[in-house]
Amino acid sequence: MRALFNRNHWPLWVVLALVALALILPAILPWTYDQIDWDAVRAPAFSGSHVFGTDEIGRDRLARLAAGTRVTLMVAVAAAMVSLVVGIAWGATAGWMGGKVDEAMMRFVDALYALPFMFIVILLMVIFGRSILLVFVGIGLVEWLTMARVVRGQVMALKQRPFILAAEAAGTPSIKIVLKHVLPNIAGVALAYLMLTVPQVVMIESFLSFLGLGVQEPLTSLGILVKEGADDMDMTPLGLLLPGGLLVLLLICLTIEGERLRDVYS
Amino acid sequence: MSVYEIRDMAIQIDGKRLVEDVNITVEPGKCTAIIGASGSGKSLTCLTPFGLTPGTASGSIKLDGIELASANAREMHLARSRYTGFVFQQPLTALTPHLTIGKQLQEATSQAGPQRLSRQELALMLERVGLSRADERLDQFPHRLSGGERQRVMIAAAIAHQPKLLIADEPTSALDASLRGEIMALLDGLRVEHGLATLLVSHDIASVENHSDDLIVMDQGRVIESGPTVDIITNPQRDYTKRLIAATPRLTEPAPVLPVVGDILMEAEDTTVLFPRPGWRQGKIEAVADASLSVREGEAVAIVGGSGSGKSTLGRAVAGIGPLTSGTIKWQAELLPERRERSLAMRKLIQPVFQDPVASLNPRWKVGDIVLEPLRNLSPELSSPERNNKLAQALDDVGLGPEYIDRVSTSLSGGQAQRVAIARAIIAGPKMLVLDEATSALDPLVGGAILQLLAELQRAHRLSIIFITHDIASARRLCHRIVVLDAGHVVEMGAMAEVVENPKASVTKLLIEASKR
Repeated sequence: MRALFNRNHWPLWVVLALVALALILPAILPWTYDQIDWDAVRAPAFSGSHVFGTDEIGRDRLARLAAGTRVTLMVAVAAAMVSLVVGIAWGATAGWMGGKVDEAMMRFVDALYALPFMFIVILLMVIFGRSILLVFVGIGLVEWLTMARVVRGQVMALKQRPFILAAEAAGTPSIKIVLKHVLPNIAGVALAYLMLTVPQVVMIESFLSFLGLGVQEPLTSLGILVKEGADDMDMTPLGLLLPGGLLVLLLICLTIEGERLRDVYS
Repeated sequence: MSVYEIRDMAIQIDGKRLVEDVNITVEPGKCTAIIGASGSGKSLTCLTPFGLTPGTASGSIKLDGIELASANAREMHLARSRYTGFVFQQPLTALTPHLTIGKQLQEATSQAGPQRLSRQELALMLERVGLSRADERLDQFPHRLSGGERQRVMIAAAIAHQPKLLIADEPTSALDASLRGEIMALLDGLRVEHGLATLLVSHDIASVENHSDDLIVMDQGRVIESGPTVDIITNPQRDYTKRLIAATPRLTEPAPVLPVVGDILMEAEDTTVLFPRPGWRQGKIEAVADASLSVREGEAVAIVGGSGSGKSTLGRAVAGIGPLTSGTIKWQAELLPERRERSLAMRKLIQPVFQDPVASLNPRWKVGDIVLEPLRNLSPELSSPERNNKLAQALDDVGLGPEYIDRVSTSLSGGQAQRVAIARAIIAGPKMLVLDEATSALDPLVGGAILQLLAELQRAHRLSIIFITHDIASARRLCHRIVVLDAGHVVEMGAMAEVVENPKASVTKLLIEASKR
């Protein structure tokens, strides 16, 4: 835990600050993300109560940025958690059982890896219509695979360690060995990969939203904001620069942080 | 006239003085050995003058007239490339994996000058270090060679440019026991033949005593004692040296008085263990083949053999923590099933202790929890105060105080960790311990203390012991009988004294030779 909160590491603080802003801002701003100010369509920055101005139909840009960041991070964290739970369960089972079970389980993972993921998500959207739930399912479908592979490798390495054999000789049941000896010792590595999964999911979610396949209007996300900004960039470049810059900053900081943790734990 | 002379050397890393007041002299054709426990600064002492560690050396270090302490880059290069050869501990990592043996040797010789050697000359170099089929080997990559062969190549490369000084940093400690004697004999022969001055580093006093002229004993960055090897071994002056010599098991020491043995407890018959080949390949690897073994109450039996002989696999099958393909393991008259089918009552009988003490403790647990784990499972009827009494008793048995209960396992030294592992093994009151190289990863002093502890426990608890090792000398301190394994087969079996006096199998002879060193 001490490794997670390194006080001298600025990217962590940037991420935490962005999360805090995304949570607090909607509560204190006079405008909500879907509220239209008919008196100020395409208002420039610092006009009245609109700090970053308004978009082409008069919604407050700052409020939409905060709401978009919130949705994007929520999707990212939720999908990463799903990938963590499924990946650890799958990978730990395969690694611990070994042999034929392991072969079968890991070939299944390989098969899923081979599927054209983007194509399947688009098909799902077309068939079932756009919903935030489908975004979860689509992203969750791929993100747990890497986690499962990492966890399996770690478990297989740990399985050979004498303290696991000693626990077996001590009569500790298998399930307890996995829960008390194996999993706590891979927690660090799993945490590091969790941190690396978050920016990946942010990326995928923004990409889907940019294509118009992700979150639905009037709900917004960073991907949608970038798309809207891009459509209108010759009139108001701020509309593209703000969400785009925010997305880049978020991705860079999360990735640096994840790589740092990975280096700490492996 | 000495080749290499160190006077009043001190070594600093990041402003910390790690080594002080070192004086070493090495003469041509002679060998000076440095011994000491890990962390005593012996490797720093021999590598730092050549700029091979992060430290800086001060004082006077003369190599054939060059002052290394104040040498500029060109002189240092000359000293390293022309006058010195190095042999390191790990023969696997010391050779460059993508170069063939021939290219490695060519690179080593070209240090001394621009001339390229012909193929015959290179092959001759390999023959000089005792490698057969030398011509063929020139085209092989390091991974095709065994550990002993690689170390021979390392030695060939180290002396390829005809250096004046050879520095060997634990050249045999990563090798199989039966190979150690051969490599040391090779170094001795080359030293005499070429008049090489040799600086030998080791943590093991017994492995250098017959191969060195002068001995330097180091402890905590200081030279404790130095002088001719024979004088120090026969008449050590300092307390540390005395303890070190006493702790090192030798075949020449008088046989210990061993406890009386009772009836047969454990009988393993025709034990065979097969492992599937990795991946999708067909066939099986036979790790243990039809090995039989019996242990009586209070008796200690040594299973010895080189690496890959199947001794650990046999021990694990007996302890119920490894696979058993066929054969029977009986406890008195009762059959012990394989691995996961063993009941808790059966688990209570046999407990293991492993080679690497640090890896055998869960790094996230406290000592108290680690030692109590078997008790919680195997004697669930005990109340919590009873458990704590047993914990205190077990720690006391292995010579650790109650203050260790709340220590995290990663904060323990190797010797302390091994004591904790032994406490965990004995807390539930087992009848037999399976010790898998329990002392070989430890420094001689610490290992000697653990052997002593095991001998005491053997008496106090009437424990039967299976002592798996490659070192017959340390097995002799504890064991009544000996079983020698080679490639999974039992090749010799008998009373310890008889086998040591009169070994029959060639593997046994090699292992005894290695223990004499």
